Amino acid sequence: MTYPFNVDEIEAALDSLALSHPAVTELITLPHATWEGRASHALRIGSPSASSRDTDTVIVLGGVHAREWVPPDALVNLAADLLEAHSRGTGLRYGSQYFTAQQIRSVVEEVQLVLFPCVNPDGRHHSQTVEQDTNWRKNRRPAPHGSACVGVDINRNFDALWDFRRHFADDSKVSASDDPCDPEVYVGPAAASEPETRNVVWLLDRYPHTRWFLDLHSAVPGIFFTWGFDVNQTTDPTMNFHNPVFDGQRGVKGDRYREFIPPEDFHSLQRVGTRINDAVAAASGTGYALQQSYSLYPTSGCSDDFAYSRHFARPDQGKILSFTIECGKLQQPETLEEAEGVIREVCAGLIALCVAAQEERSERARDDVAAARKPDAMVTS
Amino acid sequence: MADDIHRIELRSSNLDDLRSYLDGAAVTFGCRPVARQEGVEYVVNVYAPVGDIERLRFARNVPGVTMNVLENTSEIGRTWQRRVRTGNLFANRTAPTGLGIKE
Repeated sequence: MTYPFNVDEIEAALDSLALSHPAVTELITLPHATWEGRASHALRIGSPSASSRDTDTVIVLGGVHAREWVPPDALVNLAADLLEAHSRGTGLRYGSQYFTAQQIRSVVEEVQLVLFPCVNPDGRHHSQTVEQDTNWRKNRRPAPHGSACVGVDINRNFDALWDFRRHFADDSKVSASDDPCDPEVYVGPAAASEPETRNVVWLLDRYPHTRWFLDLHSAVPGIFFTWGFDVNQTTDPTMNFHNPVFDGQRGVKGDRYREFIPPEDFHSLQRVGTRINDAVAAASGTGYALQQSYSLYPTSGCSDDFAYSRHFARPDQGKILSFTIECGKLQQPETLEEAEGVIREVCAGLIALCVAAQEERSERARDDVAAARKPDAMVTS
Repeated sequence: MADDIHRIELRSSNLDDLRSYLDGAAVTFGCRPVARQEGVEYVVNVYAPVGDIERLRFARNVPGVTMNVLENTSEIGRTWQRRVRTGNLFANRTAPTGLGIKE
């Protein structure tokens, strides 16, 4: 690996990996070109295309925020490692974290991993090439008429309580802005107004059996699970993000409103988050914080909340449990060695997520077989 | 050219103290406004131009909150910008190899 990749290299790397491993990959062209006309691609690692819509899926994003250069490189590295280990029939090691050859084979052949390493290529290119804008975060949406302010924060543009002025309390200090000149958290003119956002939504629609979603950012370091709207609670299902009765009340710490999460989802997120974190710690010697994404102030329009919210808002959608990882300790590692260390720990954590997804699928299959063998099932069939 | 942006770490054993510190402070958060738990402490990373750091240090003096400047993200970013290639390592369709050990 030669950190950091430029945008063309990320695209070419995905293309090369798909070309080198045609039996277990598919290069996916996203439908929406960016504002600067770039075509984006994702890489599906898994079973042949014919069954891809019916297979349990893990979707991982990188490069949503332009200035965070490590996540796209980490996802290219993850694809390269998984595909090489699978083709050679070996296990895979990061530090003291070892995945067996059987685990690698099961991940590649029994579930599928969809990697979208560089969601915001215009922003990354800008951050990597314009000296005064190395800290650029947003996409490159042209400035509105009469303004010189460019860009939308993709991670405030998803349709998850996007209309923050309506949904959150005035004193919630929600991390969102409707000012196009806000350099950080401008939400855009409408929910999913941005091509980069719509590409992610398209991927979620394309794989209806997506079980897990992870948006890779940097740096805290932390593993965060839904919700970002308010403090979680597991007892009152009516107190939730799509109940308009609570509009204008959300996001204030210590008040009555708390966001509902079913207890089984809360426990699944904690259990799998712990497995991700254990792998990170084994790879690098130090784990990340594992906690709910709401702590200081709420967020609106984030990808992880959107992915998880879909099945509440639309019962025909499958449930997607979601995380955000903020990898590494520094926004920009100071040395190549530091960058590679973060990439290794991220890869270990993400493969642990895929192993958990594969094991969950196997358990469900065993339960289905056991249920089919019950006498009652035989009678009714 | 605008002031360089620095990444600043705030620590406290009390979330409310951190909120008091941050109320009205001219800082931005990273991806999201989170305080990570680290042992008995909460840690928040914020970003501010170099010219605002001393102002922040004195004007936002809340007992129990400590502040450390971690990195000049602008300077590190400019250093990395010089290492971004203009060519394409994979133009000849050679697949990348990863950092994991295959064994």
